[in-house]
Amino acid sequence: MALTETERPAAGGTPGKGVPRRPVGNRRRFTGRTALVLFLFMLPAIVFVGLFTYYPLLSGIQMAFRNYNLNDLSDTSWVGLDNFRTLVGDEMFRGTVRNSLVWVAGSLIPQFLIGFTMALWLRRRFRFRGAYQALVFFPWAVSGFLIGILFRWMFNGEFGVVNDLLMKTHLIDTPVPWLADAKYAMVAVIVANVWYGVTFFAIMILAALQSVPDELYEASAIDGAGKVRTLFSITIPSIRTTLALTVLLRVIWIFNSPELIFGMTGGGPANETHIVTSYMIQVTQEGDYGRASAMGVMVVFVLLLFAVFYLLAIKPRTPRRKVAR
Amino acid sequence: MRHRQMFAPLTAALAAATLVVTACGPGPAEKAQEGGEVRLQMVESLTNPTRTQLLKKLIADFEAKNDGIKVQLISPPTNQADQKIQQMLQSGKGVDVLEVRDTTVGPFSTNKWIYDMAPDLKGWDGLDALTPNALQVTQQGGKSYMVPYGFYGLSLFYRKDLVQQAGFSGPPKSWTEMVEQAKKINDPSKNRYGYSFRGGLGGGGNAIAVISGYVIDDINKDNAFKLTDGKTIFSSPKAVDALNLYVDLFKNASPPSSVSWGYPEMVQGFTSGTTGFLLQDPEVIATVRESKTIKEDQWGTAPLPVGPTGKAAQPLANAGWGVAQGSEQKEAAVKLVKFLTSGDAAMTFSKENSLVPILKSAAEDPFFKDGPWASYVAMNSSPDTYVVVTQPRGVPWSTEWGNKADADVQKLITGKAQPAEILKSWDEYWTKKWAGN
Repeated sequence: MALTETERPAAGGTPGKGVPRRPVGNRRRFTGRTALVLFLFMLPAIVFVGLFTYYPLLSGIQMAFRNYNLNDLSDTSWVGLDNFRTLVGDEMFRGTVRNSLVWVAGSLIPQFLIGFTMALWLRRRFRFRGAYQALVFFPWAVSGFLIGILFRWMFNGEFGVVNDLLMKTHLIDTPVPWLADAKYAMVAVIVANVWYGVTFFAIMILAALQSVPDELYEASAIDGAGKVRTLFSITIPSIRTTLALTVLLRVIWIFNSPELIFGMTGGGPANETHIVTSYMIQVTQEGDYGRASAMGVMVVFVLLLFAVFYLLAIKPRTPRRKVAR
Repeated sequence: MRHRQMFAPLTAALAAATLVVTACGPGPAEKAQEGGEVRLQMVESLTNPTRTQLLKKLIADFEAKNDGIKVQLISPPTNQADQKIQQMLQSGKGVDVLEVRDTTVGPFSTNKWIYDMAPDLKGWDGLDALTPNALQVTQQGGKSYMVPYGFYGLSLFYRKDLVQQAGFSGPPKSWTEMVEQAKKINDPSKNRYGYSFRGGLGGGGNAIAVISGYVIDDINKDNAFKLTDGKTIFSSPKAVDALNLYVDLFKNASPPSSVSWGYPEMVQGFTSGTTGFLLQDPEVIATVRESKTIKEDQWGTAPLPVGPTGKAAQPLANAGWGVAQGSEQKEAAVKLVKFLTSGDAAMTFSKENSLVPILKSAAEDPFFKDGPWASYVAMNSSPDTYVVVTQPRGVPWSTEWGNKADADVQKLITGKAQPAEILKSWDEYWTKKWAGN
């Protein structure tokens, strides 16, 4: 039964005139028993998250401060900041930090631009759109390591399809040793990662685009806005939050996804394509869990800082009202 | 009513707790005596589908002959297998029999994760059937942490037709001849190269094969990274000559992209007809036979190239089966190890897996006497020329060293470092490690 105007609660939550108050005696009080019931309902989730997320996390953090080497567990004593000091003094680690920045920037920008373009294109109605969408989203279903191995063969200097195509189209005269030369190898792994990650942006941006009301586009068309104006005045502002969060997520994922590099170059040639996380895996394989955990802690710390600053930077600013004097 | 209210969450909590507990799962010990039968968990490391099928067949034979013992084989992907095994051993559960390699036996035994089978092997007639090399591996340092199932030994695969076209009567016998022939065969304009260079994963091992051939007269056979005077092989001036030759082989007779070639690429290089020479284990024989590009009469195998003094070091890499210290079914586990490393099972595994065999009786078997296997037999029958040495592959830092050596070889062939620099850093590395730093 609809409430009449007088019966509706007034703004602020206080009952309006004529609304019968619920008798105080009947109000459910938050008792200890209720708390226990709620806690028991939450217990399975607490146990699972604690066991599979926080225990490994805390275990990893404490390992970073220990001499924890799987090859010799006779002395796993606390070593304070030694693992971190070793890393800071490790020239190779510093190189992987530089490579990580190149890897993230080099992968993210093309992924974003191509993914955005694809999403805009896939939003339009055309024949076989469903089939195109399925094709475009396919790479996302394949493991990064496998993609790495695939591209390793494609970029092979002697029997790879990339050189074959470039030679046949006369873009190059002699085969390019893609994975054998440091300057080409980084380009090759980034190309593979762009191909792999474009899909993620396309999926996310397409989903956001579909939530933008058509009326806005109709109105902008009536107002005589061109395609570029519509893009910057309607489309981008409408999906701003999705774009921002997608970029944030992708930065974290790209930084944390060494499997493609591992499959494609193994960090070579001469460690030139190692990023921090692929180097971390290598150190783990060598058994030095202490040093690898120290890297892990550093990565988490840096990514947390980045996330905080990034979210602060993209936070919508409400314009201050001018105080009337 | 209240009771009912409490019932739902309590049930949920109980269910969750049950799930968590069961997720940890019963180990083999708990499962061992189900229905009065012994259950063993076995983990392999160098997994490949064909080999897994072969192992399952051998396990079925074992189960048929040992009523009351059931074996479950776990086959993790090769590139993560040793790590998985390490984690299993560390937890002390979930594994009874495992694949132990010469590179993992050190760390596994240092951490007391694997069982010394020496007392169990006393009086076992299988020991008498082993070749001297296999027996040496089985009884290293008076302990028996593993019994090998076979050896991986390098020999030279070569293209008979290309060697002939280049004007040579036969395959190269020494490293110097190898460079000479490879250069002649090398013709990038036809996408044909002399040598399948291993510059990627495992590249360090091949570089050391050349160095060992150069310092063979001064090498410590029991620790092939040391000279008889106690210094490392990398400190020898002959090692510089070896690496100079090796760089020459890369620059003037190998594909430029082989800087990043690991096992699959170097084998593909040979089987696709791109390269004339390949240094590889006998397991490649089967792969080359499957090639659609090169026919059976176009290729052959030859012994490992020798150094300047006419000798080569033959470091026999090996792997075998061992028992986990945490196993509560050690008797049955040792029984399985003995079964797999003796009689028909051991011979079948060597043949179908293309391994240098562990049994003396293999020398009389026609399978190992003919065709491509002949070079391995020739090497084993000339111990003065092809000197069997033991490399320190079982040290706890073997993975770290492998990564370092691979990266350094890439620096060397890409001109980022000179032979003397690389050798100095290798010398320092091993000297430090042996000093316990």
